[in-house]
Amino acid sequence: MKKFLVALAALIMALPIYATAQESANKPKEAEKPKEFVVYTDKGARENHYIPSGWMGDYGDIKLNDQSMDNPHTGTTSLQFNYSGKKSQGQGWAGVYWQNPANNWGSKKGGFDLTGMTKLTFWARGAKGGEVLQKVVVGGIKGTYPDTAAVEMGPIELTDTWKQYTVNLAGKDLSYINGAFSWVTTADLNPDGCVFYIDDIKFEADSQLKPEGRKQQNMPFYVYADRSSAGNHFIPSGWMGDYGDIKYDGASKEDPYLGDTCVKVVYNGKGAQGARWAGIYWQNPANNWGTIDGGFDLSKATKVTFWARGEKGGERIEEFKIGGIMGEYSDSDTAGIGPVILNKEWTQYTIDLKGKDVSYIIGGFCWATNVDVNPEGCTFYLDEIKYE
Amino acid sequence: MVYGKAAGRKILCLAACGLFFALCLMGMSSMPKAKVYIQKINMSQYRMMVDGKPYVVKGVCYNPIPIGKSQDYDWWSDPAKPWIADGKLMKEMGVNTIRLYQAHEDSQEVKTVIRDLYNLYGIRTILGHWLGFWEYPCPLYGDKMFRDKIKKEVLDMVATYKDEPGLLLWVLGNENNYSCIGRVNPWSTDEIDKETNPEKQKAMRAEIYYSFVGELASQIHKIDTQHPVALGNGELIGLEYANKFCQDVDLVACIIYRGKTFGNLFNSLKMTFNKPVLLSEFGADAYDAYLDKEDQNMQAFFLESQWRQIYDNLYGSKEGVGNCLGGIIFEWTDEWWKHNESDSASWLVHETESNWSNGSYYFDIQAKGNKNMNEEWFGIVALSPESEGGLNKHIPRKSYYVVREFWKNPQLGEKKNKGAKSK
Repeated sequence: MKKFLVALAALIMALPIYATAQESANKPKEAEKPKEFVVYTDKGARENHYIPSGWMGDYGDIKLNDQSMDNPHTGTTSLQFNYSGKKSQGQGWAGVYWQNPANNWGSKKGGFDLTGMTKLTFWARGAKGGEVLQKVVVGGIKGTYPDTAAVEMGPIELTDTWKQYTVNLAGKDLSYINGAFSWVTTADLNPDGCVFYIDDIKFEADSQLKPEGRKQQNMPFYVYADRSSAGNHFIPSGWMGDYGDIKYDGASKEDPYLGDTCVKVVYNGKGAQGARWAGIYWQNPANNWGTIDGGFDLSKATKVTFWARGEKGGERIEEFKIGGIMGEYSDSDTAGIGPVILNKEWTQYTIDLKGKDVSYIIGGFCWATNVDVNPEGCTFYLDEIKYE
Repeated sequence: MVYGKAAGRKILCLAACGLFFALCLMGMSSMPKAKVYIQKINMSQYRMMVDGKPYVVKGVCYNPIPIGKSQDYDWWSDPAKPWIADGKLMKEMGVNTIRLYQAHEDSQEVKTVIRDLYNLYGIRTILGHWLGFWEYPCPLYGDKMFRDKIKKEVLDMVATYKDEPGLLLWVLGNENNYSCIGRVNPWSTDEIDKETNPEKQKAMRAEIYYSFVGELASQIHKIDTQHPVALGNGELIGLEYANKFCQDVDLVACIIYRGKTFGNLFNSLKMTFNKPVLLSEFGADAYDAYLDKEDQNMQAFFLESQWRQIYDNLYGSKEGVGNCLGGIIFEWTDEWWKHNESDSASWLVHETESNWSNGSYYFDIQAKGNKNMNEEWFGIVALSPESEGGLNKHIPRKSYYVVREFWKNPQLGEKKNKGAKSK
């Protein structure tokens, strides 16, 4: 009996060990998490998951050779884009989205769950060097099935040799990404058009990568330097009031203060929308009225300076200002000057930022005027708008 | 030990001196402090003291116009005494202050309201004056006769109500500074018209206006040493001029509509005009102009966020500036007359059409024409056409309860769920 009890006890003690061993033997091996997810690698490659189908803006300005054999980065082909900058659709900008399925602007359930990926990398080069992409974007397609993230990077000035670029996605929700990647550029940045190449676009899982904090930008920080400058950080997209009364030329060669071009604004004061006033905000990203988490940390700036002149002298601008856009993602502050009577000669103006919080600025610069003080409308010029 | 005569005189002399100093100290300590005053601590932190105790203003703008009536309605003489029922509801919420934009002509009726609210519920009253801002054709601050007329009205008001135990402070003007930049009710003088530089014109108007308010504050202090005087100001616009010409005010009462955040307001004020600030008008409406339906969650979300920022910037807070004295929500009850003041039939309708836009209130900014601000829906208490005790039935909205709970247990710091509505 004693022997039996000892054997029983030994059996009872051994059972859990056996059970555990059995359990681990039966348990399927956890699938190894993928280290990368390819957007595009080579023409016809099976691992390409997205299609460059989302042509935007002046889509007539874009030509794509999807099997360019002109010095691909790897494999046998790369994507050659030829952007003419001719504004075929009158937009002044163009771009291409890689989508899944093709042409999915958020109306269909598609895309992929890319949770675990922490960055997107791609290789790019210009045909000559100096070509400027205004930005590249990961995610950001809206609609019924919106992407769960929208991350932008840019502007990017390309070189004539292949260079890898990285979009940090650490900490972003990538559980649904239909618009894997897009590039956007403008006619202002590439007035004579441009040819550039893209290759090896992929998401990667890099556990070492940390979420990108907001970087304090170094000074000077340009809103507008010159038409094609990669240093232009804001886009004159926020047309307000009687926007039909405004003609904007970001590449005027009429006696720029510095460089090749300046901004020319013609306001006719006819009241196209019945507002009796008009203005333009330079925003980041374009058309951001506080709806997108964008902009820059410009905390190092103590002032904003710009040069302005009127066509005749005596033109009155009610307000020049920075910041002040309010929304879900509001500018952290606002500062301005005005009313200002412009001189016929270039004159520098300063907006003092003392005591201002410019740690989050999406509305980089703005002017506004009205018909009451410019009954015949007015024409004026701006140049070298920068934070210092 | 034996003391000589000289030593005795010395001791007597020392004792007399000691007694004298002690009496001086006693005298000083018994000098009456003002009933309401503002303490400045560490150069830029402030707190309000009332009857010797710190006081955070937890207020509401009060203008109890019933359904079917307009701005001209004399609620002060309403036999149903709306402030009695309102005061009870306010007290239950934790409101300690109401703001009246201007006193009624009948001073006895005004005193009755102030006394009832104070005696029954301990609620204090902020009394304001428009400084002629809405007078036709425009507020002529450059005209001495106009200024003298307004000065007399203001000083009469102070003399009449300064001894009311329930009075908290005076507010001079509301958004009158906008007239200096020509945005609302523009005015000028011959001298200003001669100036061709519009920026100098603005500065000239600001100097006239803020000097006038400064003079009023100085005069008020001469006849009332017990209550602070506030400069009512739209946003922080023009305060660089107030810094030069209006140092006699004790605080700034700011009207601010910036959605969920006051942004850099507290720090910016410290840099331009180092006075304490009372958020004297802020809030959110409870109607989603985009979805075309009432949205109490939206209003509650904004109000809770705004109060969190106010508390973050009170004296002694770790993160904030410490120059905030509290806030006054706009407003206690809805006002059904506001959308179309000239159409009496519309005063019976709770209008859902918006007539102005503010991107800071972003949940319904996609409404037609971006018009998302519903002027008749700012109350934290809704009105019902149903009658109760001779008044419109009052129905507290979600924001009433959310702010009540916040005041009981303030949760400071920005919420992490940026942009999310609390459902």
